[in-house]
Amino acid sequence: MSRAAPMALLVAALIALAIAAVGLGSTPIPPERVIAALLGWGERTDQIVVWNLRLPRVALAACAGAALALSGALLQRTTRNPLASPSILGITDGAALGVLVFLFAFSDEANLLQVPVVWQPLFAAGGAALFALAVTLLAGRDRGDPMRLILYGVTLAALAHAAVVLMMIVGPVYRSGQALVWLAGAVHQAEWRDAAIVAAALMAALPLLVRLAGPLDQLRLDGASAFATGLPVEAVRATALVLSVALAAAAVSVAGGIGFVGLVAPHAARLLFGSAAARELPAAALLGAGMVLGADLLVRAAFQPIEVPAGAVTALIGAPYFLFLLTRMGRLNA
Amino acid sequence: MPDTALSLRDAAIGYDRKLVFEDLSLSVPEGRVTAFCGPNGCGKSTALKAMRRLLPLQAGAVELRGRPIAGWSPRDLARELAMLSQSPEAPVEITVEELAFMGRYAHRRALSGRKRSDRAAVTAALTAVDMADLAHRPIGALSGGQLQRAWLAMVIAQEAPVILLDEPTNHLDVAHALETLALVRHLSHEMGKTVVVVLHDLNLAARFADAITFFRAGRIAAEGPVAEVFRPEIIGEVFGIACEVRPDGPDGRPFVLPLHRATAGAH
Repeated sequence: MSRAAPMALLVAALIALAIAAVGLGSTPIPPERVIAALLGWGERTDQIVVWNLRLPRVALAACAGAALALSGALLQRTTRNPLASPSILGITDGAALGVLVFLFAFSDEANLLQVPVVWQPLFAAGGAALFALAVTLLAGRDRGDPMRLILYGVTLAALAHAAVVLMMIVGPVYRSGQALVWLAGAVHQAEWRDAAIVAAALMAALPLLVRLAGPLDQLRLDGASAFATGLPVEAVRATALVLSVALAAAAVSVAGGIGFVGLVAPHAARLLFGSAAARELPAAALLGAGMVLGADLLVRAAFQPIEVPAGAVTALIGAPYFLFLLTRMGRLNA
Repeated sequence: MPDTALSLRDAAIGYDRKLVFEDLSLSVPEGRVTAFCGPNGCGKSTALKAMRRLLPLQAGAVELRGRPIAGWSPRDLARELAMLSQSPEAPVEITVEELAFMGRYAHRRALSGRKRSDRAAVTAALTAVDMADLAHRPIGALSGGQLQRAWLAMVIAQEAPVILLDEPTNHLDVAHALETLALVRHLSHEMGKTVVVVLHDLNLAARFADAITFFRAGRIAAEGPVAEVFRPEIIGEVFGIACEVRPDGPDGRPFVLPLHRATAGAH
C-alpha cells in the first residue's frame, strides 16, 4: 500500500519524540544513553532515571493521547459529526466530576484515601457514562441534528464543570489543589500503575476495534442507507459509543482533562490517511499519542522547573481549531 | 397476474404516537416496476420505509414472498431488499467505486476483504449505470445526475431481487430524471428486479412504471396496472384536481393534463 510508508514515518516520529521526552529533565540524558538504558544496557543510574522516573510519564502521555484520539474518532463516526469529541460532548467533564466525587467522598480528615486508588477510573467511567448517556438521550430527541448535539454536549460539559468548581471551593484544600492540577491534564506525577491502567484499556479495546473497522466504515453512510445495506446500525453505534466512553474515561481518570486531542487527532488522521477505519484509527491513535507527548515535552522545555499541565497546551492548539471548524460549518450550512 | 414479491398486511405505521396508516394492505408484483404516487404527505414514503423495516410497524406485517420479515437479521434482509433513501449521505472524498463496494456489505464476512464475487458485482453495477470510467472519481466531484447514478450503482451491487427507491428523481432536472427512470425500467425488464419507486411526477410514473399505487391521506385510493388505474376520475380524486388523461403519450403510454384545482362547493 502506498500509505504504509507515511504510517511507518509516523511510528518513527513517535519513537523519536518518546526518546527526546525521556531524555529531557532536570538532568538531561543524551539520546544514545536513553536508547541504551531502554535496551537494558548503559549505566545503572541512567537505567533507574529512565525506567523509574521518566518512562512512566512518557508512557502515560502516549497511552492517554492514543485513548483520547480513538475515543474522539469513534464519537465522530457514531455521530457522523466532525465536531464531536470527548471534551466537547461533556464526557471529559463528566469523568472529572466522577473523580472529584471519588476523591472527596473517600478522603478522611488527614486527606488520606480510605479505599484503593484503582477505584478512581471506575468513578471516572461512571461520570463519563452518565454524561454521555444524557447527551445521547437529549440528542436522540432531534434525530441527529449535528449542531444540537454539540450544543447539548457543551451545555452539559458546562454543568459538570460548574459542579467540579463548586466541589473544589467547598472541599478540603489539599484535595482541591491536587484536583486542580489533575483537571488541567497533567502527566508529571505519573507512575507505572497509571500508564498500566490506560494501556490495559487500549489492549482491551483493540480486538473490538479490529472487529468494528468494517462496520464503522459502513457507518460512513447515513443511518438509513447503512441499515439498508445490511448493517445492524443501532448495535454498532451502541458498541462504538460504549467503547469511546470507556477509553476516554480510562485516559481522563489518570491523566486528567487533556482537552481537544480527541477532536484534532482524528481530523489530522483523516487528512493524512483518508476515512477508511483500518487506516484512520491507527493513525489517530499515533497522532494523539504524539500530541500529548509533544505537549508535555513543550511545557517541560518551556516552563521548567514549573510543572505546567500538558492539557493547557493541547487546549491552546485545539480550541482555535474547534472555532475554525465551527465557522466553516456555519458557512457550509448557509 | 405476476406473483406478489412484497406486501404489507394490515399494517399500522406511524411516527411516535401519530399513526400515518391505521390499516394498510398492499402488494407489489414480482419483476415489475411499481410506482407509489399521491399528494404531499399522503404517506407514500412512509409506506416504503416501513416495507424496508426502517420504521417499526405498530401492527400487521411486511411479507417477502409470503414470509414475514420482522425477525430477519439486517444482513439477511439486505440480501433480499435494497433501498435508496431520499437524501442518502456519504463522505465526499470516497470514490464511486468505494461507494459501490458499500453495497456489498451484506455479502461480506467479518474481517474478510473484497472477494472476486464482490468485484464482479461492483463492475457490473458500474457498467449498468454507465459510470465505469468515473469509478475512481470522488463522489464530491460528481454532477447531480452522476451522483444519483453512483448511488444506484451501490444499490445494484447489493444484488437484492427487490429494490426500493424513494423519489430518485427528486433533485434532478428533466433530462437526468428521464435517464434515471430509463435505468430503473432496465433494472426490472432486463435484469429481472422488482422495483418500487416513489414518484412525484405522474407522467413519469405512467411512462416508466408497470403498475401504480395511488395513496391518499393514509389509505390506498387505487392500485393496479397503469392502464387500469391511470384514469382521470382516480387521479382527480387523489389529487383534488380536474384533469384530462390522453392515451397517446411517449412510448405509447397515457399522460395526464392537470386542468385546475377542484373546487369544493360554490362560492
